[in-house]
Amino acid sequence: MQEELKKIEAEALSELQAVANSADLEELRIKYFGRKGRLSTVMRGMGKLSAAERPVIGKLANEVRGNLTTAFEEVGEKLARQERENQLAMEAIDITLPGRRPQLGVKHPITQTLERIQQIFRGMGFHVADGPEIEHEYYNFDALNTPADHPARDLQDTLYITDEVLLRTHTSPVQVRFMEKHAPPVRIIVPGKAYRHDYDVSHTPTFHQVEGLLVDYHVTFSELKGVLHSFARQMFGDQTDMRFRPHFFPFTEPSAEVDISCTVCSGSGCRTCSGSGWLEILGAGAVDPNVFEYANYNPDEVTGFAFGMGVERIASIRYGIPDIRALYENDLRFLRQF
Amino acid sequence: MNVSINWLKEYIDFDLSPETLADRLLMLGVETESIKQLGEGLDGVVVGRINAVRNHPNANKLVLCDVDVGKSADVQIVCGAPNAREGLVAPVALVGAKLATSLKIEAAKIRAEESHGMLCSETELGIGEDTSGLMELSDDSPIGAPLAAALGLDDAVLELEITPNRPDCLSMIGIAREIGAETGNPVKLPSVHVKEGTANVQELTSVSIDAPELCPRYAARVIRGVTVAPSPKWLQRKLESIGVGAVNNVVDITNFVLMECGHPLHAFDYHKLAENRIVVRRAAPHETLTTIDKTERNLTSDMLVIADAEKPVALAGVMGGFDSEISDQTVDVLLESAHFHPPSIRKTSKALGMHTEASHRFERDADPEGVISAINRAAQLIAELAGGEIARGIVDVYPGRQTPVQVKLRPERVNFVLGTEISSDKMTEILTRLGFNVSSTFEVTVPTFRPDVSREIDLIEEIARVYGYDRIPTTMPTGDIPTAPSTAISELRERVRDYLVASEMMEAINYSFYDAQSLDRIRLETSDRARDALEIRNPLSEDMSIMRTTLIPSLLENAQRNRNYRVENIQLFEISRVFVPSGDSELPNEPERVSGVIAGNVGAGVHGDPYRAADFFDTKGIVEGLLNVCGISDYAIATTRHPVLHPGRNAAVSVNGESLGIFGEVHPEVLESYDLGYKAYLFELDFEVLAGAADLTRRVEPISIYPSVNRDLAIVVDAELPASSPVELIRSSGGALVKSVRLFDLYIGDQVPDGKKSLAYAIEYSSSTETLTDEQVDRVHEKIVKRLGAELGGELRS
Ligand SMILES: [Zn+2]
Repeated sequence: MQEELKKIEAEALSELQAVANSADLEELRIKYFGRKGRLSTVMRGMGKLSAAERPVIGKLANEVRGNLTTAFEEVGEKLARQERENQLAMEAIDITLPGRRPQLGVKHPITQTLERIQQIFRGMGFHVADGPEIEHEYYNFDALNTPADHPARDLQDTLYITDEVLLRTHTSPVQVRFMEKHAPPVRIIVPGKAYRHDYDVSHTPTFHQVEGLLVDYHVTFSELKGVLHSFARQMFGDQTDMRFRPHFFPFTEPSAEVDISCTVCSGSGCRTCSGSGWLEILGAGAVDPNVFEYANYNPDEVTGFAFGMGVERIASIRYGIPDIRALYENDLRFLRQF
Repeated sequence: MNVSINWLKEYIDFDLSPETLADRLLMLGVETESIKQLGEGLDGVVVGRINAVRNHPNANKLVLCDVDVGKSADVQIVCGAPNAREGLVAPVALVGAKLATSLKIEAAKIRAEESHGMLCSETELGIGEDTSGLMELSDDSPIGAPLAAALGLDDAVLELEITPNRPDCLSMIGIAREIGAETGNPVKLPSVHVKEGTANVQELTSVSIDAPELCPRYAARVIRGVTVAPSPKWLQRKLESIGVGAVNNVVDITNFVLMECGHPLHAFDYHKLAENRIVVRRAAPHETLTTIDKTERNLTSDMLVIADAEKPVALAGVMGGFDSEISDQTVDVLLESAHFHPPSIRKTSKALGMHTEASHRFERDADPEGVISAINRAAQLIAELAGGEIARGIVDVYPGRQTPVQVKLRPERVNFVLGTEISSDKMTEILTRLGFNVSSTFEVTVPTFRPDVSREIDLIEEIARVYGYDRIPTTMPTGDIPTAPSTAISELRERVRDYLVASEMMEAINYSFYDAQSLDRIRLETSDRARDALEIRNPLSEDMSIMRTTLIPSLLENAQRNRNYRVENIQLFEISRVFVPSGDSELPNEPERVSGVIAGNVGAGVHGDPYRAADFFDTKGIVEGLLNVCGISDYAIATTRHPVLHPGRNAAVSVNGESLGIFGEVHPEVLESYDLGYKAYLFELDFEVLAGAADLTRRVEPISIYPSVNRDLAIVVDAELPASSPVELIRSSGGALVKSVRLFDLYIGDQVPDGKKSLAYAIEYSSSTETLTDEQVDRVHEKIVKRLGAELGGELRS
């Protein structure tokens, strides 16, 4: 019997070595441990043993059983591990297949630019105001110190509805409209559409402007420089330089045109900036006292500054758009790039 | 305004390259559009004199010239020009010169004779049209001098953009004054000496101003016995360098003075003036005048004319008349120097579509005090260059004399406004350089050539720009931030835009106008209110001639464009104002619209998530979701009759009985008119109504801590039954326990009888007070099934 057990153990261990998968292992387990298995059969023969033999054989039988159980478990674990690995290996996929991206829409680049501009000026305490796009000649010109029959009216090619009603040529009319209704201090920006009889690579007949107006009891030209400098650095980057040049606008005095250092060449001169190293981005100046008088403000009591920037111009600099008319084509191949 | 650097240097000393000068002017407010370098390709070309001409031993048509080029010995040059002759002064391209025609001059042997350079024609030098022979220079040209210098071509011309407030800068002297303000160098005005004869001008002519409101000043001089001929070369070249064509000596002189001091002058043929006198008056009705450009002009009574005793002879301040212009036969000249009312000149030149050097300056306000110096300068030059005798005296009628403008300057105000610490001495210096007179108490007298300066702030600007904007400090505002107005509308607009973008829609922005046919293309009835669109009086084109009353045509055009480029999935929206004429006020209403178009496919179009043709329920879903985002749950959807939509696939949505907008499938005829090859769906909502009903506030309801139970249910009903009926019945039968009902399948086909459809709902049951048992749910669910059968004829489908 002793020999029998040893033989079973040896044979089982050897057969176990050859087992390749868990199904075979199960088969083998039944062969040895099953109700009719070899180990069980031997164990059942224990009853025929003498009382003296019984403990010895019994001990041996338990030993063999224990050894085999451990060995089966080890092999079983090893096989399970292997089979899991095989399984996972089989499940490998082609990760170069395209992912399913959420189909988000996109805000128009003009909107994105407008939002950024507004965000920057909100941070400096400006609030958003608006006014009509179809305007009285009075608010668009006269109240902005641009009388009829003055050559300054030629600066803007105007689209008319009637003699006195026109498509506003800038968002500046909101200056006087706002001051008529609010006492100083004023700190507003006016984002909106404006219109001119213009159509080329840098002009569209509908365009967007952001007008700014700050009026208080002591506002200086140096503060205009500060606000616009802060804007330019936030909009175009910390390294942006700014240049104020004297210019003429009927409704500001002193007036300035404002350039930033070229965003392409950083000022060394390139095609974008026509070699000058500068890009014009806006017009600005101290509010002309006449405008205050039109708005019923006392020019001896308040000073202020105003500025106006073309959003398409800023978007074209920001995104490198050579022909701004592309902004109005709404070609999805264009819009999807933003 | 073109400015020649050499010419400019006659009035001010400066030593700046054209580029540096342009930069300096830019920082003073005068922009340079272009810089043109004259005389390019004239390096190595000098003035030469042919001292001897000999026959070429080996060629009939060539000669050998000994040419003095300013060196110790003459050089031999082989030449074939017919006018090569002894004594001729002509340009010589020396060995090593590279001409504008890119010809390189080398020492050569021509038919065995040495040639050290080339005698040149105008065309060979690229400075003229004459190909007939050698360019002939005047005998007194400096032999050996560079040709460019001898011809005044060692020069650059700046094309300046002068802002409309600065008429004074429309002249050489004006620009010189700007440079002087910056550099501190004095401006050198030309010295004028008028040598008058004995005849008294008062006896030769008279001036009467009948319309003093339009003509504050008119001065005349008479020069008798002139010889009209081409101007001397120096004058022609000067004018040509800045783009003014030479005419004859008298006219060229008036143009020269115009460019020099900015004051327009006019010269009449004295004998073409009836009674030899001048009447400044408004044109009579139906009067006409043929101007120098040989065009007959119809005049009106708000136009000012210069007339003689009988008829208009010039359009005041704009252009002279053809009949009285200076011609070769002219012997006696009447010279005009005047000042006209700027708005009147502007109106006249606009009305007649004439924009001239004269009108450009007069409408910007020329200097009334510059009248006399200009007429004297011109008279002097005419006498010098065209001969003749200047009659004694000037007829100077000056009804509109103005006292010089005085402005009180407060130096502390300058620094208050600019945020600077400029000394009052510096202010005085700047203003003085610009021609202002500053008293010790800062009473500033404004020169009459500066009509743009009349207030203290104008002086502050002058100080600021000359001091330098770049020297003004950069500081942040210190004042209080005003309280913010309501931002509810913009917040809602942002919310709607964010929602649409999150819903796969791309934002479009279109022009605010389109063509009138747009409203036909979307099938609007003639009575439709959207037909009442504002027309632009001077549109860029027919395509941009009426203001939008609806965004739909723009979006359909966008879809068409994308379709033309084979874009197959189009989801576009736009938020914009439209323009509705208003009966009671002058300005139209500008209601805002939020509109969209969906055409072609929706979906990602990738493996596992293929494209699907868009349908009605995509646009309906967008609209419903938008209402949900706006916090609007109480809305009604009903069929509508809008002509842009498919008659069986459309809807109108309203809130509280107010129409909010429409959505649905685009009518096939509209699709055809936009040449869209696939179906399209659109919506257009009135943002104002939306804003009125919107409620962005949110109050949180406690969520149930008990799990919900989900049951599905499929019923077969008549195909005509609206899908909303079972939902309403499920909700009303289930009461509070029914948390949500979702139609997850709709089936029509072989599996159900003809005329029937299968609707499958997922119902979520839950209670906020307890965990529902199966029995509780069963009871409610069975009740629902029973009522669906009894009331809607719905058969349970297994
Ligand atoms: Zn650049």
